[in-house]
Amino acid sequence: MGSQFVDLNADGHLDYLTATFAGSPYVSYGSAEGFSDPVRLVDAQGRRIIISTCWNEEKLTDENLGYAMPDGKPRAERCISAWAFDWDADGDYDLLLGSYENGHLYRQMNEGTDREPKFTGRNIPVLAGDKPFALPAGMTAPRLVDWDGDGDLDILAGTFGDYYGQKPGGGVYLSRNAGSKGKPQFGALETLVQPSAKGANDPTRPDAGLYVDAVDYDGDGDLDLVVGAFSMWTTRARELNEDENVTLERLRKQQKQVTDRLQQMSRATHAAATKATEGLAQDSKKYRDRWMKVYAEHEEKVIPFHRQLQELTRNIGTYVATPRREGFVWLYERL
Amino acid sequence: MRARWLWGTFTVVALGVALSAPRSVAEDAESIRFAPPQRIQAGSFIAGAGRNFPSPVMHDVDGDKRADIVIGDLDGRVTYARRNKDGSFAAEQPLRKRDGKPLKFHNW
Repeated sequence: MGSQFVDLNADGHLDYLTATFAGSPYVSYGSAEGFSDPVRLVDAQGRRIIISTCWNEEKLTDENLGYAMPDGKPRAERCISAWAFDWDADGDYDLLLGSYENGHLYRQMNEGTDREPKFTGRNIPVLAGDKPFALPAGMTAPRLVDWDGDGDLDILAGTFGDYYGQKPGGGVYLSRNAGSKGKPQFGALETLVQPSAKGANDPTRPDAGLYVDAVDYDGDGDLDLVVGAFSMWTTRARELNEDENVTLERLRKQQKQVTDRLQQMSRATHAAATKATEGLAQDSKKYRDRWMKVYAEHEEKVIPFHRQLQELTRNIGTYVATPRREGFVWLYERL
Repeated sequence: MRARWLWGTFTVVALGVALSAPRSVAEDAESIRFAPPQRIQAGSFIAGAGRNFPSPVMHDVDGDKRADIVIGDLDGRVTYARRNKDGSFAAEQPLRKRDGKPLKFHNW
């Protein structure tokens, strides 16, 4: 989920706008007291704002709806990023929606006001040059910043790339705005950070799932990049002495114990959810609420075990060649 | 409008952090160079360590005019690391709602 702090409802407090893999934008409204529970944004007809694919919380299944697409036809494109931007300079925020698949970018116009938004429910493809904006490696999230200092907002975006295997990873791209106020025109995509080729023995760079922000991090007057992503590397193999072999064996046993424990917890959670929803219709609110409650509790319970597993994997990687994947935040200082 | 635009689209401006002096618009991507990437430390840990698709955004959470790092992730969790006076970052902590509970977005 990319994030934007923006006063979406023009009440003088910054709100937190994002979109998640559920397929829609969410906002947590800010106030003097702090942030509210997140709510989903809806269009003027009261429908959830989507690109096409989205998670149906009532039915607990994915569905593919075409109502927001230009031709009204569903397609495999899920909205996983959102950005508020006054596209037509009419004084209210319109929405940019980014898709995971193919990294397409759409705009949805606001025909109301910030206080009473009326999003049209119709997605209009954003162009980069004379082609639809597209990042085939999958777009994480776009950010609008004045990268080239010409007074308008350009698009910065990262890509996922292959976040499991050894195919190329993600990069960072720029599309400059050469338009005018109320008529943005974004140019062809330029590469700021090449996609990762991977293959390192240490975490040397963000490799896959690159989420980018731009800021003058070091106060030298230019924009640097702050990038969150998975690093993917394979630790080096080395000769082990007897003591190290004993330690390695112990770590592997602990790793198996934690893995077994996590599997056991997953089975127990599934059984608990099944019991809690016994006799309820699967499309009922009660069924969904109970199911979600059990899984929310599960999510919290497994966090320390996942951390333990990560630590064990990290330690094992100091003894034998081990493929590693871990999230970090990186600085690319501009020269 | 101008103030909102600044806040909403590039919050660091409103935080008083010195921003880019305009560079040549004609500058192309090939001429933009970066130093080798470095991981950002937050307290005793690397920022975003262990997170599932960490997504950072620089934003002044605590109103001290310094841009902190706010980090979301695939699971919908949000943390932030305060930027200290010396430019380093404190340990990450959850971004909380008005009821004191951690802010979390529904991700599935």
